Order: sequence, then C-alpha cells, then structure tokens
Amino acid sequence: MKNTLFIIVYFIGICCSAQNDSLVNRLDLVVIQADKKLDKHSSGYKISRLSDSVIVRNMESFANLLRFNAPIYLREYGSGGTSSASFRGTSASNTAVIWNGININSINNGQTGFNALTVNLFDAIDVRSGGGSLEYGSGAIGGTIHLNDNLEFSANRQIRNQAIVSVGSYETYRGIYKLKISNDKLALNAGVSYNQSANDYPWLGTDFKNINGAYENLGININGAFLINDVSKLKFYSTNYWGERFFSGELPNPTSANDKYQDFNHRNLLIYTNDQNRFNHEAKFAFLSQEYRYFEDKSLDIYSFGSSKRYLVNYNVSYVLTDLNASISSYSEYESAFGKTDRIAKKNRRQFSQSFIYDQNIKNTLFLDAKVRKDFNSDYEVPFTYALGVKVKTTQYVFVRANGSKNFRVPTYNDLFWPGQGNLDLEPETALQAEFGFGYKNNKFLIDIGTFYINAKDKIVWTPNGDPARPGIWVPINISEVNNKGVELVLNYKENFNKHVLQFDLNYSYTEAIDAATNKQVIFVPKHLANLNIGYNYKRFSVFYQQLFNGEVYTTESNSNDFVVPHYFVSNIGGDYTLLNSTKQLLKIGIKVNNLFNENYVVQPRRPMPNRNFNLNINYKF
Amino acid sequence: MKINKLISKAFILSVLFLASCSDDDSPQLPKGAYENGILVSGEGSGAGTGSISFISNDLTESENLIYKKVNSVELGIYLQSIAFDNDNAYIIVDNANTIAVVDRYTFEYKNEVVTDLSTPRFMTIVGDKGYVTNWGSTSDETDDFVAVVDLLTFSVEKTISVGNGPERIISRDGKLYVSHKGAFTNNDIISVITLSNDNVEEVTVKDRPDELFFNNSGDLVVLSEGRTLYDTDWNVTGNTLGSISTIDVTSLNVDTELNFADGEHPSLMVIDGSTIYYALGNDIFAMDANATTLPASSVLTAEGYLYGMEVNNNRIYATNASFTDVSTLNIYDLETGSKLDSKSVALGAAKIYFN
Repeated sequence: MKNTLFIIVYFIGICCSAQNDSLVNRLDLVVIQADKKLDKHSSGYKISRLSDSVIVRNMESFANLLRFNAPIYLREYGSGGTSSASFRGTSASNTAVIWNGININSINNGQTGFNALTVNLFDAIDVRSGGGSLEYGSGAIGGTIHLNDNLEFSANRQIRNQAIVSVGSYETYRGIYKLKISNDKLALNAGVSYNQSANDYPWLGTDFKNINGAYENLGININGAFLINDVSKLKFYSTNYWGERFFSGELPNPTSANDKYQDFNHRNLLIYTNDQNRFNHEAKFAFLSQEYRYFEDKSLDIYSFGSSKRYLVNYNVSYVLTDLNASISSYSEYESAFGKTDRIAKKNRRQFSQSFIYDQNIKNTLFLDAKVRKDFNSDYEVPFTYALGVKVKTTQYVFVRANGSKNFRVPTYNDLFWPGQGNLDLEPETALQAEFGFGYKNNKFLIDIGTFYINAKDKIVWTPNGDPARPGIWVPINISEVNNKGVELVLNYKENFNKHVLQFDLNYSYTEAIDAATNKQVIFVPKHLANLNIGYNYKRFSVFYQQLFNGEVYTTESNSNDFVVPHYFVSNIGGDYTLLNSTKQLLKIGIKVNNLFNENYVVQPRRPMPNRNFNLNINYKF
Repeated sequence: MKINKLISKAFILSVLFLASCSDDDSPQLPKGAYENGILVSGEGSGAGTGSISFISNDLTESENLIYKKVNSVELGIYLQSIAFDNDNAYIIVDNANTIAVVDRYTFEYKNEVVTDLSTPRFMTIVGDKGYVTNWGSTSDETDDFVAVVDLLTFSVEKTISVGNGPERIISRDGKLYVSHKGAFTNNDIISVITLSNDNVEEVTVKDRPDELFFNNSGDLVVLSEGRTLYDTDWNVTGNTLGSISTIDVTSLNVDTELNFADGEHPSLMVIDGSTIYYALGNDIFAMDANATTLPASSVLTAEGYLYGMEVNNNRIYATNASFTDVSTLNIYDLETGSKLDSKSVALGAAKIYFN
C-alpha cells in the first residue's frame, strides 16, 4: 500500500516548492543587488516577488510565469507567439520591464515582448503594481516588472553550480546551467539557457496542429561584483539573447502561416558604488542594443527590421539624515538612443532626467517615500511627475498603505516617425493614480486588500482620419481618456507542522477600465482575473497546483457580445522528489502536467492554446 | 452530419429543380433567408473576425455575422471580397489564404479552397472556372499570380503569372482585365489575359489603379488613385496624379484620361447605368460615363470613414467603417442627398453586394 501511494505521488508529480533552497540558506552570504531602488523606495506599494523556485515551475515562457503567478493579464498570439502584459486595465505599453534597474521596453513600439526574452536565468523577478516607479521612466504607469541578478560575496571561497534540464511534449527541450563563484571580495555569476520546441500541439476541437509555431533561443548572462575596498564596489552585468520563432496561424486556415521572427538583445551595465556613512554614490554606464527581424515569408531572406542602440549614464547620490532616520537621494540620468527600422531612417532621441527621492522611517511605524522627476527630451515636452507612498503599521501585524502618483509614457518611434503616418505633434500620455490598501501580516499569513483608481489622459490611439490633412490615413493621436478602478486581493498562507509544509498564494483582481468617450470597458481588459498556487511539501516530496481564471474580455469598443474572448480556467500540476540532499549536492527530479483538464481555450481569437501536455525535469545543484 | 448535408443539398436541388420547372405563374419559392437583400462584407481586424451582414431590400431586417450564425465558425481575417455565380458565393479571406464556398442564399457552407492561394484578393467567374488575383508573398514583388480555380472540384488547377500587386479582376469576351494597385508598394498597369492561351498583355495607366468596369460603349474604365511621394525621411515631397482612364479593349490604347488635381486621391469608383460615382475623401461625386471633365461639386458628403460604396436604385450605400468595432452602413437618397437609414454592419465594412 505504501508503495502504491509512493508511485501515485511520484507520478502525479511532486515538487521543490516549499523546500526553499536549503543549501543556500546555510551559507553566510552578502547579497548584492544591481538595483537597490526598488526595495528602498516602495513604501505603500504592492510587490510580489517570484523567487527562483517559482521561476523554475513555469520555465515554459515568461508569459506563463507571469500569468500563473502575478496579478497581470497576458495577451498571447498562440503559445509562444507575440505576447504583452498589462496591469490594472492599462495598456501593454504602460508596463515597463526593468532589467537590473534599467527600463528595457523597446523604443520602437514601447513594449516588451514577453516571449522574446527568457527569464529562467534571473535570480528573482519582482512585480510591482502601480505608478510609483518614477525613477524607471516612461511607461511605468500600470506597473513595473523587475528582472534581477543577485550577486553574493561569501566569507569562504565557493563554487556553486546548478543545472536544470527538462523534456516536454511537442519536442520541447530546455537546459539551464548557472555557475556562481564567490569569495569575500569577488562574486561572479555565469548562466546559459537554451530552449527549443516544435510547439506543434494539436488544436482542440479541430483537425489542425499549431503549425509554424516552433521556437529556439539561447541566452547567456555574465555578472560580476568586485569589492575594491570597504566602501566601494564595482559591478557589471551582461545579458545576451538570440531567439528565433515562427508565428503560428489562426483558424480557419492555420496552414497559411509562414512568418518567422528573430530577436537579438545585448545589454551591458557597469556600476560603481561608494557607500560612506552618510553619503552613498553610485555611477552607472549602460549600453543596450536590440534588434528584431520579421520575415513575412520564412523561405525568403527578405525581412523588415527594427533596431536600437541606447547609451545611458547615470549618477545617483543619497545622503542619510541619521537623526530623522531618513534619506534624500538624487538620480540624474542622461540617455542617448538611436533607433531605426527598415522604414524609418535612424533617429536620435536624447533625454536628461532628474529625480529626487525622500524616504523616512518614523519609529518603525510610518514609512514614507516622496519622489519628483523632471525630464528634458529632444522630441517633446515631458511633464513634471511625482509620487508619494506611505505605509503605516498600526499594530505589529496590521498595516495600511497608500500611494498616489503622476506618470507618463512617451510616444514611441513608430508613433512619431512611421512613414507617412507618424505624428510629430504627439504629446506623452499622462496618468494620475491613487491606491489605498490595508492588510494583516504575521509569520504565516498575509492578506492585503487594495483599491486603485487611475485616470489616464491623452492616450495615443491610431485612428483613420486622425489628421484632417491626411484623409483615410491611420495616424496616432492623443485622444482617449480612460478611468480605471478596481479591487485587488492578495492572500498568502504558509503552515509548517511536523515536516509538512503547506503554502497557499492567491491573487484576485476586479478591474473596470472605462473609456470616457464611450463609457464602455476598454478592449482586452478582463474584469475578473485570479491565480492560485498551492504547494505542499513533506520531507523529500513536494507537489504544487496552479490555477488560473481569466475572465471574459471584449474585443470591440462597443463591448459587442458578438466579439469576445470567453473566460478560461487553466490548471497545472507538478511536483518533485529530492533524490539527494547534502551540504554539497541537491538533486531533484520533477514532472509537470500543464493544462491538466485539457481545457480548450484561446487568449486571442481563433488561436487555440496548448492542450494537456507533460514535462519531465531534473534540477541539480552542486 | 454529412448525411444531413446531403439531405439539405438534395432538398435545395429539388427546390431549385421544382422552381425551374414550374410554370411562370406559380409562386416562386424563397431560395434562402439571404435572398432579396444587401450583403455587406467586413474585413475584420484584431478586434474581431471578418464577417458578412445582411440587410433586406426594404431595410426592415438586418443581421450581422450571417456566416458564423449559419456555420458556427468564423471566417478569419481579412475578408477581402466576395464573388458570386448563380448558386454560390465565394468568400475570399486573404490572410487565411482561403476561399469559403457557400450557398449564396442560405450561406450554408459547401466547400473551401485552402491550398495554392497566397494572399488572394478578388475573383471573377467564367463558366465553371474562378480567376483569383493573388499577391503571393508580399515581400516578393515577382511572385504574383492569377489562380485558376476549378469550381467543380474547388481546387487550383493552374496559375498565371502577372505583375506586382494584382487587385480587381473582371472578364469579358474571353479575356480577363486585372488592375495592379501594387499590393504593399505601387504599380500602374492593367493586365489583359487571353483565356485561350494565358497570354498576358499590359496597359500602363496612372499610379495605383483599383476599380475597373466596362461602360455602355464597351470600353474599360479604370480608376487610378495616384500616389503620395516621399523622400528618404518619409517627408511628403509631392504626388502623382489620380485619374479615370478609358481604355479601348481592342487596341489597348488609353483613349481618355480625366486627371485629378495634384494631391487629390480618388477612390471607390462604381458605375450605375451610365453614371460613374467616385469618392474624394468623404465627398461622393457623380459624372456621366462619357463626360470629358470631372464634376466640380459633390452629390453628397458621407459620414465617418468612407471605406465602401455602391449605388443602386437611386440609393447610395456608403460604409462608415470601424476597425475597432462594428461599422455603420449609411443609405442615402441619390436625388436629395438625404440619409434614408443607417444599419450596424460588419467590423471593417468594406464591400457591398446586392443579392
């Protein structure tokens, strides 16, 4: 009987979830982050942190990782296709992706493609809702997603390795290798990630497969930190990505799909920090390049492209006011960006921005953060922006948080310069928002209930006849005004009893995003969105269950019931078994079943998503 | 399912047979729910599928998404045009490389052509063959063709290679006439294809020829939109002329060209009787087919985004197209220019047909 149970549990799948990297916890480490701003300046905001053990559960794509773990709505043109993310009913270009403190949204379209980068190599991903992220610049209206590499100095010399390999349905193969070398002065991380998949899953309810959906990508990250002396450090971060994807078609005739897409991204960052008693200095230099190539016909070597190069210089200084338990910081940044596409000649945009941040901790009861930012841009006027966040701990367990901010999004290169259609008179979109939340937190349980309001003005919309001088031509104009309001709930619970560990994480949100002109819900904004993760761990076994509920979305402005994407429930289950667990080695073998109940669903009309599929993985740390 | 279809087919055939055999004075049986009305096809967009709307001739009834309602599937994007023969409607969806074949009066699915098409645009029918213009790969200007579809087997039996960006296609007296608007670039030719030997001749007209038809004298009339010229930084540097050209189909000479003013780009030309109608922006103009000058003033100004137009029985039908929502069909009285009615129609409403 015991054996039967063993086999059932084993094959249903068990995982690493709650068994948080025991290996790491025993070591005496000093963690160095590239970006200290987030932790320091987020009083009053909601942040969910996806640790590496969470990332490992949804290695299939960045889109899926966020869909099942973060309070965000993901659009995806078929599994592995073009994907975008939005917070709280704002648009995809209102979601900023921040790599080690630097905004990496494309200057061509203002967005990040969530299937155009792999995140499996990052040590942690933070998802911050709301518009308080002024210091990250344009687009951080709905929220920010932070990709972080953590470097660690150790008292003794250490070499740690981690390898993950996985094999899944539809000829899907993934491999990750991470190396971390450290001593008390030096920390070096290197990682390689490789993914490939035929991705030709059958389309439920049809005779078709996901034709032309294959993908392959390679990522290499190298990061290092060097302790120059007691007060100064030099850090560098480099990430490189090469990806090729084919774009699958849609019903009724997916065989017509014939496109191919390639991405090449290279990001390099050098940081010098000098931390004195009261003064902290930080200087950053970054060079980022990004290129896509779109092949309308994969059999031809003819493509359209967009590419950009960005140079950034950044100087931050903060001064600690010891008496007040406060600090005041200044962030100055100069950026020069060069962008071009096959249809837009090279354009240079230069921008200088200056922010000041004041934060204070009053008797460990009231935490506050005040920020102001002004940008000077070579292309247009950028408004003065500001944010204020406050958190009050009324008792040891109960807290109240509130924040408000003004944010902006600059027009993209496409908006400004698209041949014959761009509009040089565009102004940045701006948004005013406020959020109020309260909650309870002890060492087992967290509940956070929040409500938000966002008023976004001058939203850039492409409209035919947008410019009377160009009849019939689609032109972007500053036109729409949208009011978003909603309620969000976060519930985390963790229980330990005799070696049993149970963990429960829930996100739910209700969102109304109402277009002020039509008084209707904005398209592709689900009113209801929920995800749930349950993990259970006993000794060497662990199992997890993921549930997503994505409410119906309208696809037309009038909210016609003839044009909707129906709601969907999708469940995954997985788990693992620890074969080896010593101070030197940790070896786990796991399996995962995606879309457990074989739900036939679409995220975009006429593009069925994967049916039930399987994945076997081995995770080895040594 | 198949048996049901067979039965319904047999029923339709028997009805047709009975109808055709019956005496003239016996009552005509209705051929389907979508007879005696106006069909409006919409291209669709990211906001929703391409679709077809039906409006009864007396304007009392209208219905959207008729193909989806009858067949429970969507047509996809972008629905470019519909061709008709006596029994069938052939619905051409360019991104899907598909021609869906339905009964033109019931809209019941009959068959489809899904292979050997590459961005199909328009079709004309001669006997039991359909001739379909195809852009081919839009990144290749040399692979464009006319597909010859066998309408008995619903398969492409051969292709005829033509110049870049073939658009509208019409036929007369054993020849096909194809306007080459130029797909995603520009072109300025009319292809004349002899059906007996697939020989292709070209006539050069003004830039971006689109609508074409025969006038009462048997001459080919072509509307060229003209194009906007840009420098390498995409600043507008000028325009080429739009024009209504009349071509003698025997000599293939351009007999007359009525040129528009510099910067005017006409579109949506149709003919009703001996009157030609076209649009400049939202203004709709009318002129006699034999006129030697362009009219100075418009007959009416259409509302919104004028994207499709037809004229019939003293009415002008004009779509105010939305690509983010359902569109509107406005129906105007030709005599007075006043709006008689408006109907909610297909998303991206582009083409109007009388069924």
